[in-house]
Amino acid sequence: MKLVDKFTLWFLGVIVITTPITSYICLNNIERKIDDVEIARLKIVNTKAAARMADGTTVNIPRDASFTTFTLLPALPADSFRIRKDADPDGNHKSLESRLTVSTFMTINGKPYEVTTSSYIPASRQILNAIMDTVAWKLLLIIVCVAVSARFLSQRILHTLRLTMKKIHNFDLKKKITFPQTNTEEFKELNTFLKKMTDKAVEEYTAVKQFSENASHELQTPLAVIRGKLELLSETNIDEDQASLLADMHHAIEKLSKINRSLILLSKMENNEFAVTEHIKFCRVAKDVLAAYEDRLEMKNIQVKRELDKNIQLRIHPVLADMLMNNLLGNAIRHNVQDGMIHVILKQEKLVIKNTGLPPETPTEELFERFRKSNQCSESVGLGLAIVKQICEVCDFKVSYKYKAPLHILQVDFCPGSVINEAEQDKFETAAVVTA
Amino acid sequence: MKVLVVEDSKEIASSIHDFLVREGYICELAYSFDEAQEKLLLYSYDCVLLDIMLPDGNGLELLKFMKDQGIQSGVLIISAKDAMDDKIRGLEGGGDDYITKPFHLPELHARLRAIYRRKKLSGSNIITFNEITLNTDTLEATINDILLDITRKEFDLLLYLVVNKNRVLSRQSIATHLWGDYTDNLANFDFVYQHIKNLRKKISAANGADYIDTVYGLGYKFNASKV
Repeated sequence: MKLVDKFTLWFLGVIVITTPITSYICLNNIERKIDDVEIARLKIVNTKAAARMADGTTVNIPRDASFTTFTLLPALPADSFRIRKDADPDGNHKSLESRLTVSTFMTINGKPYEVTTSSYIPASRQILNAIMDTVAWKLLLIIVCVAVSARFLSQRILHTLRLTMKKIHNFDLKKKITFPQTNTEEFKELNTFLKKMTDKAVEEYTAVKQFSENASHELQTPLAVIRGKLELLSETNIDEDQASLLADMHHAIEKLSKINRSLILLSKMENNEFAVTEHIKFCRVAKDVLAAYEDRLEMKNIQVKRELDKNIQLRIHPVLADMLMNNLLGNAIRHNVQDGMIHVILKQEKLVIKNTGLPPETPTEELFERFRKSNQCSESVGLGLAIVKQICEVCDFKVSYKYKAPLHILQVDFCPGSVINEAEQDKFETAAVVTA
Repeated sequence: MKVLVVEDSKEIASSIHDFLVREGYICELAYSFDEAQEKLLLYSYDCVLLDIMLPDGNGLELLKFMKDQGIQSGVLIISAKDAMDDKIRGLEGGGDDYITKPFHLPELHARLRAIYRRKKLSGSNIITFNEITLNTDTLEATINDILLDITRKEFDLLLYLVVNKNRVLSRQSIATHLWGDYTDNLANFDFVYQHIKNLRKKISAANGADYIDTVYGLGYKFNASKV
């Protein structure tokens, strides 16, 4: 539920609760006012009638449905007048008016008289109906106005909040954000806090990234030095023991430089250095990579089943496309068994590579983490699948890894946005024809 | 061949120097932009090994300088950044080839030779060693004028061995040369071993001398002194 709706509901709840109370008060006040005015008038009428009677002029002057009667009393009561209100003068519960009767006790020409005048005033139900009408309209108006204006107001007042949310939503660790100016105290506080937090995050991220990038780059030179010296050393006169020591060193250096290169690559992808500018024919990449691995497939005597659809275009940087295919196919070959099988399926919406191999020792999804290997002592660096995952993140693809004995199944789902659909292609081609 | 190595890291420069001198090349070193400029103006070189990241200037500017001065040396760019744009800029700026640190010295040498062949030997595409002849255009190898039936990979391997004759070539360096950077996730050694084995078979089938030695624990060597 939106904030504005909560406020609106609360407000309307308050109105709904207070309205009957105020209506009741209103009704009472109006009735009392009418009664008071009428009683005062009737009293005057009584007095005037009594005066006329004393003069000996005619008394019974009907006047706006009120009339005055004189009743001779044995004695004057204690109070000087009595008021009666009859809510149902017609006795049928449908009266539209109630009768107000005022009796004044006074002495006229020496005799005690009760002078009584009645008049009709609107029945309280009538007044109530009128009030209910009004209240209904009022409520309707208030609800409409509140609902509309609250939305409008919240648009205005919460606009800055919404901008802030949007900024936070699109927050990227790579750059600081500035929050919109606002004069609402709470939002000011929120923005200040968020600014502090995001700036700190950006600074720390940048520092860490810088460090790792610098470290990786700085490592390149010493690695090159060690490798060069080892190569020179292996050409000097050495005996077998020394040779095997050198071989181990070579090996370690090789691994180190591979790790380093992969880490540099990963950080480059994180820095979006592989922005997509055009689309490429992924089917061609797949074919090329398969061709490049031909010799190694032969050596392990691996049967390759291909189902490559033609003309599959994707939005992906060519370097990444190459790397993705290389890593996946390389893994499929490397973790395969002698005389194994690889099944490559490329369709408009997905790439699936199935291969035979030993069952994985770790849960398959964990293998996408950096330095995770199915077999810890294996020769691999453990970054291949991390790179695959990163490539898929950069391109908005989904990648999954399942093992259904005896097959390892790696599937990459291309996102709808990265697939160039047929209609677009046709347009593209007709455009090409037209320009041609 | 006369080579100028422009590289600020003294150890790398000295490694390259030692390697190339053993090959019989004349090799000079420049540790900075200014030094390199000076040497390029005073002397002429067949090839320049150029590190892009120099303490007092960018190697790309040195490329521009060479262009402006009309210096015709071949250029092999060395860089620690294997960034695509760097590569492209370097090659567009007049570099002939590109290699990234950390590299294998034999690989550097093979690329240097290729540049030298293209640039200085007026695109000569024939490399001859004793009875072996390699044609880098047609990718044909002959032994005593008999055409060897070898694959592209085997041709590359033989060329690599011949160019780096009498050198110990580690399996890693051979693998990197043949399959590029995507060797990371493959057990290369078996593949290198297989390729070497096939190549030796084919050479001996054509009555060529068995030049390829296995150096225990380290790799292979094209032994030129075998007859």
